[in-house]
Amino acid sequence: MKNRGATVLAILVAALLILPLVVHDTFVLRVLTEGVMWIGLAIAFDVIAGYTGYLNFGHGAFFGIGAYTIGILMMQANLPFWAALPLGGVAAAVVALIAGIPTLRLKGAYFAIATWALSRAIQQLALNVEFTGGPDGMRLDAFLNPQFFYYLMLITVGGTFAILWYLLERAPFGLKLKAIREDEEGAKALGLNPTKLKMQSFILSALPTGILGGIYAYWITFIDPSSTLGDLVSDQAVVMVVFGGMGTLFGPALGAILIFAFKTLFWAYLSDFQLLYLIILGALIAISVIFIPNGLWGTMFKRKADAARPQHQTEPASEPAALSAVAAPEEGN
Amino acid sequence: MMELLPQALTDGILLGGIYITIAIAFSLTYGVMHVIDFAVGEWIMFGAFTGYYLNKWTGLDPFLFLPVIFVLYFGVGYVIQPVIHRVLSGTKGNPFLMGLVFTFGLAIMFRGLALTAFGFYSNSIPSAFSEGSFNLEPLGLTVTIPTVRLVGLGYALAITLILHYLLKKTNFGLGVRALAQHKDAAGLMGVNSKRTGSYVYGIYVGISAMTGVLLGCILSIGAQMGNEYTIFAFFVVVLAGMGYLAGVPWAALLLGLVQSIFMIYFNPSHTLLAVFAILYIILLISPRGLFGKGV
Repeated sequence: MKNRGATVLAILVAALLILPLVVHDTFVLRVLTEGVMWIGLAIAFDVIAGYTGYLNFGHGAFFGIGAYTIGILMMQANLPFWAALPLGGVAAAVVALIAGIPTLRLKGAYFAIATWALSRAIQQLALNVEFTGGPDGMRLDAFLNPQFFYYLMLITVGGTFAILWYLLERAPFGLKLKAIREDEEGAKALGLNPTKLKMQSFILSALPTGILGGIYAYWITFIDPSSTLGDLVSDQAVVMVVFGGMGTLFGPALGAILIFAFKTLFWAYLSDFQLLYLIILGALIAISVIFIPNGLWGTMFKRKADAARPQHQTEPASEPAALSAVAAPEEGN
Repeated sequence: MMELLPQALTDGILLGGIYITIAIAFSLTYGVMHVIDFAVGEWIMFGAFTGYYLNKWTGLDPFLFLPVIFVLYFGVGYVIQPVIHRVLSGTKGNPFLMGLVFTFGLAIMFRGLALTAFGFYSNSIPSAFSEGSFNLEPLGLTVTIPTVRLVGLGYALAITLILHYLLKKTNFGLGVRALAQHKDAAGLMGVNSKRTGSYVYGIYVGISAMTGVLLGCILSIGAQMGNEYTIFAFFVVVLAGMGYLAGVPWAALLLGLVQSIFMIYFNPSHTLLAVFAILYIILLISPRGLFGKGV
């Protein structure tokens, strides 16, 4: 099973690497680049939401902060792209730190709505100050090389995926985060420092998001408060992760691919009905929550997920994994 | 500029009074369901538009429709709550996270529906009270009080008193308070959490919708107005202390004051930033609210 998974992954990566050499259609490459970017945004969102259990409804703010940081540094401080790019991630991480200090000590409800309010406030700020260009947005120097951006996005997202995979699935860090998600008091009793871990997780989520925002800004060459700081970025990240499956890395990636494919088709054929897209996003979140609370990935690989994580805290710890896998179907309805 | 200060304070208090109703209802729902409803602003927006269209079709004063709107939206809330209840009592995934995500999804969906149905324009609801105003001259200062805002304050006081009576003097209220304290223990004492939850959610949606009509008469309505009011509702509840109802009126008045002071002295589009800054400071210094009595 594991080997087969690795083979599939290797083929997928190889295909993604070769693709630009075969496909010369700029539109297709553009769609692929953005698709890869959304995978990155979704897995970064899942670090704090799925693994740690703290919903960041203002994920788009960190994307926008990255984009604006690169734009301002390149256009007003004349910094080269490579110098500005890491600073985009740093800016997003710093804002996460500032926003996290008061909110991550509290219950998840505070964090969810505070991050959402933060994203609205940052959008207001970008609309009202001079150096962002206000509602008119900001234009960057164009660097028109679709292959460059495709590979840059692929390397960034691939690297993020690998680092997150190691930290969350192989290192103790992931287990600590999951412990906080399942029972914060219990985690504290085990000697963990939940506030510090949540902060690390939030920064780990914001950093790649800011970098992706920076690449996006240089690639698209035009940013404004509604495209990069609007709520659509956050809303889409939430849909992708909830629909794909929270608390895993493959789930959000799958969700990102499906939702982004849907969005591309929708935009291509039904661009007159953009508001309908918003309705579908909202409905999809509600439907996923009711019918597939573990997401597509969690539902497809249900047995394995159930065996790995007991559903009830009252279950005896010594219960064999096989038993809970057998008992699982009864919990269905 | 100083001569504007009494006016700013008056406007703030009159506006803040109306926010009390939203925040109390919002706080109640949180107390019973233990989940924040992200769609609060959207309920306000739907109520406002219902009032707007009823007024347009019948030509009657929007204030006459308040009971109709309450009954209508009470029904809507009553029907929707069991779905939220089901999500919250689920065993798969993390019910609390799912509840938050669910209301977030509802809010997005409602916003999309409203934008489709009502477009991007903003309007205001005409009322018989809209035009009138009278002047008060305490201590030689002239303060103008628009009639509609005074009526709004009267409405807010009435709703607050009714809710107070309901919570403190009836068996239903006892059940609600018990659920807020401890859900499982309340269930063991014979409180039907499902039905009580439905009633509370219905009351909350109904009050939010009614208040939306008032806000539409006083300020303006638009399909995007929900965002702002969701932040306002959260602001009031956090300042009061999550679940501490007695703090709500003070926090709501403070919000009204901040809003009116920014409207008169600074750039109105910076109001949201000021609200967020205050929120941040409160969460940093006293996360349990101004009075330190939240949960």
